Amino acid sequence: MRYKINLIGILIITLIPTITFGQVNLPMLPISTQIPNYSNLNFPNNSKNIIPNLINQFIGINPAQQNQSIMREVEQNEKQRIETLNQIKNDINEFSTSVNYNLPSFSNLQGTEYYKLVYNKMLLLNTEDYSVKDVNFEIENAYLENAEDKLEFDQIIKNSGDYIIAKMKELKYDTESNVAKNYMLFQFFSETLQLKSNGLKHTAFKYDFVDYMGQKDWSKMFVSKLLKTKTGQCHSMPLLYLILAEQIQAEAFLSFSPNHSFIKFKDRNGKWYNIELTNGMFTASSFMINSGYIKAEALQNHIYLQNLSKQELLSAFYVDLANGYIHKFGFDDFVEKIADKALELYPKNVNAQMIKANYCAIRFEYVAKQLGINPSDNKQLQNIKNNPNAIALLQQANEEVKKVEQLGFTAMPQEAYESWLGSLKEAKRKQENETINTQFKGTIVKTLQN
Amino acid sequence: MRKTIRIILLILFSASSAKAQNQEKLFEQSFDLLNTMLINENSYSFKKAVFSVENAYLDDKLDTLSINKQIKFLTGLSNSLIKDRFLAYLEKDKPTVNKWASVYQIMCDTIPINYNDKLYKYSPFGYDFNDVFGHKTRENLFVSKLLETHKGNCHSLPYLYKILCEELGTTANLALAPNHVYIKHNSIKDGWYNTELTSGIFPIDAWVMASGYVHLDAVSNGVYMKALNNRESVALVLIDLADNYNAKFPNNDGTFILKCCETAIKEYPQFASALILKAETRFKQIKKIKDQALFNQQFAALEKQYAHIHEIGYRSMPENMYLEWLISLKTERSKYENKNLNTFSKK
Repeated sequence: MRYKINLIGILIITLIPTITFGQVNLPMLPISTQIPNYSNLNFPNNSKNIIPNLINQFIGINPAQQNQSIMREVEQNEKQRIETLNQIKNDINEFSTSVNYNLPSFSNLQGTEYYKLVYNKMLLLNTEDYSVKDVNFEIENAYLENAEDKLEFDQIIKNSGDYIIAKMKELKYDTESNVAKNYMLFQFFSETLQLKSNGLKHTAFKYDFVDYMGQKDWSKMFVSKLLKTKTGQCHSMPLLYLILAEQIQAEAFLSFSPNHSFIKFKDRNGKWYNIELTNGMFTASSFMINSGYIKAEALQNHIYLQNLSKQELLSAFYVDLANGYIHKFGFDDFVEKIADKALELYPKNVNAQMIKANYCAIRFEYVAKQLGINPSDNKQLQNIKNNPNAIALLQQANEEVKKVEQLGFTAMPQEAYESWLGSLKEAKRKQENETINTQFKGTIVKTLQN
Repeated sequence: MRKTIRIILLILFSASSAKAQNQEKLFEQSFDLLNTMLINENSYSFKKAVFSVENAYLDDKLDTLSINKQIKFLTGLSNSLIKDRFLAYLEKDKPTVNKWASVYQIMCDTIPINYNDKLYKYSPFGYDFNDVFGHKTRENLFVSKLLETHKGNCHSLPYLYKILCEELGTTANLALAPNHVYIKHNSIKDGWYNTELTSGIFPIDAWVMASGYVHLDAVSNGVYMKALNNRESVALVLIDLADNYNAKFPNNDGTFILKCCETAIKEYPQFASALILKAETRFKQIKKIKDQALFNQQFAALEKQYAHIHEIGYRSMPENMYLEWLISLKTERSKYENKNLNTFSKK
């Protein structure tokens, strides 16, 4: 057995997949995590060419003449020196003005105005009291360029809320109990229901395996898509849950795990329950942890498995806004503005931190390319030494990446995520789910009897 | 005749009590040393801390000379490993990682040594399945015992690892799991990673959490899996001292124990073992109270202490479950091994 740390390649490049509530991998650019070491480099000595050599062929000529010719030569050389200096100055000026240290803005593109509008609206929200339904609608609609009808959307949500309450009454659930409301919501997502009074049928929502990360079609992530097709994924399903919970005044929270989001709620004794909507099951926290991609530091920093406060949820909505914009247009300083706002509301929002880190990495790469430097080539990278602006950008990019790491983030590969999500269906998990399910039926019926 | 017996008894008694007093004095001295390390960080030395505790238990009979010699030998061996062997690691913290790697190798690897043109085999430290909790004798947990027999457990192995790291001028963070101590390091390339000395594997965090006795809150509160700093490590040693004291003086009045607990808790407020020992000691004291009202009042306070321990996420783990879990790392190695650290060429 040998202690051998394997390392492929010379330069470590860090790739951070950006993730919306969960599942979006953006094509990422490589970025060096190291500040290059300059100490071995020699500065090219330009001055050699400028300072004239005064001790030369004049030896042997009479002193007066010699003086004159020296003076002439000095004069001439001085002129030449100034000229060269000016030329260099011009070169530098020309060089630095031609470099753009900011990513080109997309604000002249058609469609960005919807995003600006929603962003400005979101700034006005009360962070402790806002409508999840409205914010989410606005964010989706910005992507769809206002093609959606708010009234129609409101109507669907209202009808669904009414349906849920009607079903609760029919089942004689306590319509004041938070647990009963959440349990009914859970049933609404995972079971086929029918109202006895008018025969109205509701079918369960299903998981959509096709392009569940919205890589091809971003609107796959949307609640509006979920409502239209009755299929969704780990981004849209928890959001619809929250919207319906808001509609029927139930208390429920969003929570993150690697590449994933799910619902948490608590009973009267303060005990927490996790609902996994992608396959309609109650799950234990240990199941989340067993994915293998949650580090202790991530839990100590509260980035995963915590219930998000209203303000933290708003921060997550800013991340959604940014991701939609990135998907549609790309990275520019508007993305940074949104990410900064998200981080201001929730400094440990790892998804926002990733957007910020990616933004900085892409910006540095953009600048490096203008300087004719391939940033993933460590040797070429040394050439930025004369450019303090580029150095600062590189340092910032590295710092932002560092912050993501310090939060305890580890990238979860797509296959690992899929197999983990699939493992929910194992017999053992089903049994766990059944146990909690029966427990709930028991307690809810008990509250009924009391 | 009777008188002489009485005198002899008296002499015997005073002699034995003098001995007990001396023994207690050693514990007090050890406590003072640990406490000084907390007050003045310059005096910190994990090696000194650990051996002063072991020495107190061994009635000042710890063979410090031989121990220092052995540690010197191991440090020398580490240094020669660092010099001679190639480590495929390219980040700028390579010198530090190299030190960790060499200590790891010393703990877990068989190393050929060329001495006077003769090839010797250095055999590493192994796991001793006997008395892993030190119930039979506390000495089974001692680093001095580990050095002597080359067999240890999750207490002595990580302690020695930390001591050797400090001898090499670097550091190692101890970390806790239910009934367990392991090592955490933070490298540029891999961030935080775990080193498990009882099996010589680098496990991922999910392994620790999979024991079934790690509550989510215990992790987020730092009861478990937190990289402990040096001061918190001294808190660990303080509780060792208290446990040893209890083993030595089973009928003590609890004063010394509580002093150790309080000092440890002040350093590391979420330290479950210290909180539990404190509560248990208080319970022993309270049981003796005859006055009912006073008893009730103090008992209520004690209940609060236990509730707090539960709240921060501590759950007690049965001892037989512990060994099962420890072995799971070997039986389910592929599931729990950190694959980012391709650190092994082990079959």
